[in-house]
Amino acid sequence: MTDDHLHDPSAAGRLCRAVALRVHTGADPERLGRDLALLTGTAGARLWVEDVPDGAESPAAAHARERELTRPTDPATGPGLRAVLLRYADGGADLVVVAHRAVPADPYELARALLDPAARPTAPVTAPHDAAGRLGEQVARLDRSPAPDWGLGEPGTAGAGGRPFTLPVHGEAPAAVTAAAALGLVLARCTGGPDVELGTGPGHSLTFTADATLTVGEYLERVRRAEPVPSRAPAAGLYVTEPAEVLTGEGLKAEVIEDRPFLAPLHPLSVHVTDDGSTVLSGVCHHRRSAFGDSAVEWLTGMLVTAHRALVTARPDTPLADVPLLDDDQRRRLAVLGGLGRTPAAPEAAGERIEQTVRSWAERTPDATALTFEGTELTYRQLDERAERIAGALRALGVAPADRVGVCLDRTADLVVILLGVLKTGAAYVPMDPAYPADRLAYMTEDAELSLVVTESDAFPAAEGVRTVHPGSLAAADPDREAPEPGPLSADAAAYVIYTSGSTGRPKGVVVPHRNVAALMDATRADFGLGGRDVWTLFHSSAFDFSVWEIWGCLTTGGRLVVVPYWASRDPERFARLLGEERVTVLSQTPSAFAQLMEADRAEPVTDSVRLVVFGGEPLDTRPLLSWLDRHPASRCRLVNMFGITETTVHVTAQTVTRSEALTGSRSVGHPLPGWHLYVLDPEGRELPPGVAGEIHVGGAGVAGQYLNRPELTAQRFVPDPHAPGPMYRSGDRGRLLPDGRLEHLGRLDNQVKLRGFRIELDEIRARLLDAPGVAAAAVVLRQKPGDAAGARLDAYVVLRGGDGAPGPDGTAPAAGTEEVRRHAARFLPEHMVPSTVTALPALPLTPNGKIDTSRLPEPLAGVRTTPAAADEEAGDLETRLRGVWEKVFGFRVGPDDDFFTLGGNSLLAVRLLAALREAAMPVFPLPQLYLHRTVRTLAAHLAGAEARA
Amino acid sequence: MTAPAPTAHDVPTAPAGRPPGRLAGRTALVTGAARGIGRACAVAYARAGADLLLTDIGRDLPGVPYPLGTADQLAHTALLCREQGAGSVVTVPADVRDTEDVRAVVDAALDRFGRIDVLLNNAGIAAPSGKTVHDITPDEWDLMLDVDVSGAWRMIRAVGGAMTRQRSGSIVNVASTAGLVGYRHFAGYVTAKHALVGLTKAAALDLAPFGVRVNALCPGSVRDDEAAEGRMLSEIARSLDVPVEEHEQTFVAAQPMNRLIEPDDVAGAALWLASDESRQVTGSTVTVDGGFTSR
Repeated sequence: MTDDHLHDPSAAGRLCRAVALRVHTGADPERLGRDLALLTGTAGARLWVEDVPDGAESPAAAHARERELTRPTDPATGPGLRAVLLRYADGGADLVVVAHRAVPADPYELARALLDPAARPTAPVTAPHDAAGRLGEQVARLDRSPAPDWGLGEPGTAGAGGRPFTLPVHGEAPAAVTAAAALGLVLARCTGGPDVELGTGPGHSLTFTADATLTVGEYLERVRRAEPVPSRAPAAGLYVTEPAEVLTGEGLKAEVIEDRPFLAPLHPLSVHVTDDGSTVLSGVCHHRRSAFGDSAVEWLTGMLVTAHRALVTARPDTPLADVPLLDDDQRRRLAVLGGLGRTPAAPEAAGERIEQTVRSWAERTPDATALTFEGTELTYRQLDERAERIAGALRALGVAPADRVGVCLDRTADLVVILLGVLKTGAAYVPMDPAYPADRLAYMTEDAELSLVVTESDAFPAAEGVRTVHPGSLAAADPDREAPEPGPLSADAAAYVIYTSGSTGRPKGVVVPHRNVAALMDATRADFGLGGRDVWTLFHSSAFDFSVWEIWGCLTTGGRLVVVPYWASRDPERFARLLGEERVTVLSQTPSAFAQLMEADRAEPVTDSVRLVVFGGEPLDTRPLLSWLDRHPASRCRLVNMFGITETTVHVTAQTVTRSEALTGSRSVGHPLPGWHLYVLDPEGRELPPGVAGEIHVGGAGVAGQYLNRPELTAQRFVPDPHAPGPMYRSGDRGRLLPDGRLEHLGRLDNQVKLRGFRIELDEIRARLLDAPGVAAAAVVLRQKPGDAAGARLDAYVVLRGGDGAPGPDGTAPAAGTEEVRRHAARFLPEHMVPSTVTALPALPLTPNGKIDTSRLPEPLAGVRTTPAAADEEAGDLETRLRGVWEKVFGFRVGPDDDFFTLGGNSLLAVRLLAALREAAMPVFPLPQLYLHRTVRTLAAHLAGAEARA
Repeated sequence: MTAPAPTAHDVPTAPAGRPPGRLAGRTALVTGAARGIGRACAVAYARAGADLLLTDIGRDLPGVPYPLGTADQLAHTALLCREQGAGSVVTVPADVRDTEDVRAVVDAALDRFGRIDVLLNNAGIAAPSGKTVHDITPDEWDLMLDVDVSGAWRMIRAVGGAMTRQRSGSIVNVASTAGLVGYRHFAGYVTAKHALVGLTKAAALDLAPFGVRVNALCPGSVRDDEAAEGRMLSEIARSLDVPVEEHEQTFVAAQPMNRLIEPDDVAGAALWLASDESRQVTGSTVTVDGGFTSR
């Protein structure tokens, strides 16, 4: 039927039609040849006769016929039509006629005219060349229209495929209507919009809407009434061929056995349905592999069949929105593709509580080191004993199972001991970052209904009924005052409540049970080879759930946890040194933080003890990892990108990133972890096939199940899982399944912004910036002053590789690099998506959780020749002049209280700053002073004092 | 109905029990196809699944001192090709010196097959030869160049339009080691084959922008294979007035691989140059000479 090598990719094959007729009587080559010459006049087509040394029903005959049916004819090099008489050894014969669409008569008419002299047209049927040219242009236009993303085609791939299907006939509606309605509905759901355009020829198409508010009856009526209009080069075409009459006459009996509207798919997706008058329509989904992959077409064909059956059997008043595209089997297949039913091979900790698993390590390897912090170490036995003492003290303070205890501590060994102590009481911990604003801490305290908060901070916001306790006093508590230990504790009880901010509304507490953490470790332990020889880092704030993975991932698998002090987590070079000193093996990083570590690695290689890097917390751009992989081969250090959500217990999927992922810039986040599964659903909650983007829903062992005290929000976000017991979580993330079941993460559903009426995906702009040579990291924000819609613009920020991105010592802006990046983006993006400014930064500012902090991206200086600060440079006071020099050095606006190092300053920039000060004839100072006076204001004050003293 | 099983995909179109060949769905036009290298190449293309248009002169030429390919020999090549599983095979007699003949051949190929993917310019004569350069007559000189160089150019001229429109095509000019080095008493032949190599390079540059490749194939001394009915070697020996065995021995000694080239050896290279495997090869000369020109 169809195959790669017989599909002619050139325009001719796409514009030719072909018929094959079984000629029972009347196959006289001499007469046919003579008549063909008459029929084609000066063009002089001749009849070709081919003898097939086998019977008419033999494979050899079928092969020979197929070859003729797929062989194009080109009006540019001949008459634009071909007639071949295939004669078989058993006396049977087929007449195959191929005709280009530029030829006025179609191949069936030509065959009929040839076989039946009574049906002969009066005018010769040669091809007008202008028609061929016009058709060629229409084909070229078809090729220029972009292939839909969801087609999963491989651009540049030659060849075509075809997938056969059958549609049962039901009722009176003609096949042309029901097939168009079914295909239109499938396309509308896949593209996510109601407008359907189906090509019906090279230059025309049917257009109609598959509006969800219609009924089936109304919809079918609309499709029936649709008239072909000049085409806008749609991706899909539909061709319905109807039964032709048997040719009979004097000495003539012949019937059509094949009728092809094209020899190669005219549109990227060209559906051909044959209505031979029987009870089923047979069809083939032809597709060009450059635009539609085999797998996408397989699903599409299945949906077409299901939709057709539903449309022809539904009552006319059925809402169109209720017409399913997938039957139960297909839905089940999708669920299995999304990981449903995959479970860990050998669950060890299944159903255990976290502190029980840690306790079991304290029993098995009591003297193994559990915690390292700034030179001090705790063994598993010591950890367990200390946590036990803390638990006792907490119980003495009234903490009971199912309580919640606030923990607002910096990252130290004590923090881990206290968290374990809280778990031992049967309560859940509510981690709070001491760096959070007081208002947020107060809000969390109130929202979580905390009555006890463990903190060292005197500044912790006081509230009525809330007691704060110092960790030191807990550790020192008298064991004799211990309250009795609680009875058996359940793994279904909450282990922690972590607050997530989300893009809208108040932060909400996600309640995660012990069982989920055990499931997470069961899902990863074997694959990652986690065990007692591993050394992990605790790099992240306990308020960020990546820390759950770091702390309990390590301590429930018997590893050693290196608590990274704050100063080391903020300084990539010192962190890199710490990794080496502690021989760390398992490193968890946000991509943004790892980008900085990679820079440090360039200067001095990171220790080769690191065997596993787990990325989480942010979308990962795989391309920059290539340079890391050059220095740290994947065979020695495995990189795993994990897509995760707090509401599904840290992680959902895992994708090992190898050179091939990095080289292709793969956006795959991998398969769901065993025990987790996911669905990609449309806004109405219907499953979408691989390739089609929708909202990611996560079910399985990691689903938290509730937000604390937020039943409405819980009901909105945790909805019943259609294929498994328990809830699934609506993530608000955009993604799509790949045919092999891996997930592509496509950003937040709400990361769309509107600029001057255009819907813009910020992630798409960011991806283009990252494409530009030399760009190591990028961020894009929409900046809009309140009430000034016209002044809204897109500001981009990039970190340029191989330099700190700062201006030269003479104060010239780093325009060359950033302008190039902007030009690069402009080559791919529509004008309204090209950032107005591109600012190079030494590093992107990060939140305490290690994600890009867009609120701290500076106002761009670009495009502003003289800044207010710089304008006053000569006349202004020392502080204003100093600020002007800082802005020159950094290349963006600087506030008087911005910290030099927080802005991305480093020793190199410090040297430049001194040079710029010298050039501006301003006072200079010994470099270390900058560490003491880190802001414009304090440095100005210091310099003023120094001048006065001098 | 459930979603169709993945195995239901592409319906195979190759004959039963045979994978689609490297030239399946392609059309090859072979000149000088009645015997010898032309026949071996045509059969190789047939085995690779190509549709074939075969041509040869089908009569003798005054001035050429040996019989040329006959219509029966051409029909026999077509038969061998069909047996080897070619798509369809069409034969058309043509004299490559005649512009109208050449046009008819190309028109027939385009009419029957709709496209021409491969042109094997193989038609050529080796004699009249055996004379010192200043003894060659003007008629002898003109005949040699008309067939061996201009004939190839006429074919390229006739297929160029179709191939450039297709944006693909492979032209293989069968030259000779005589296109790379000189031979005593073969000034006309050596000149013609050197010119053919030059034509190859120039045409390659002209046609490269259209995705059409042009290469020269330079066989060494090819055995007069019985099955291929080749007779080049014996005609050369006769021109030099030496016994065939002696001439063979001279060449075997001169070709480091220590044996004569077989027609199939040339066909292997011709198939590679015709197929996509050589898709970045153009304007080059592929030598199949057992190492003869490496000395």
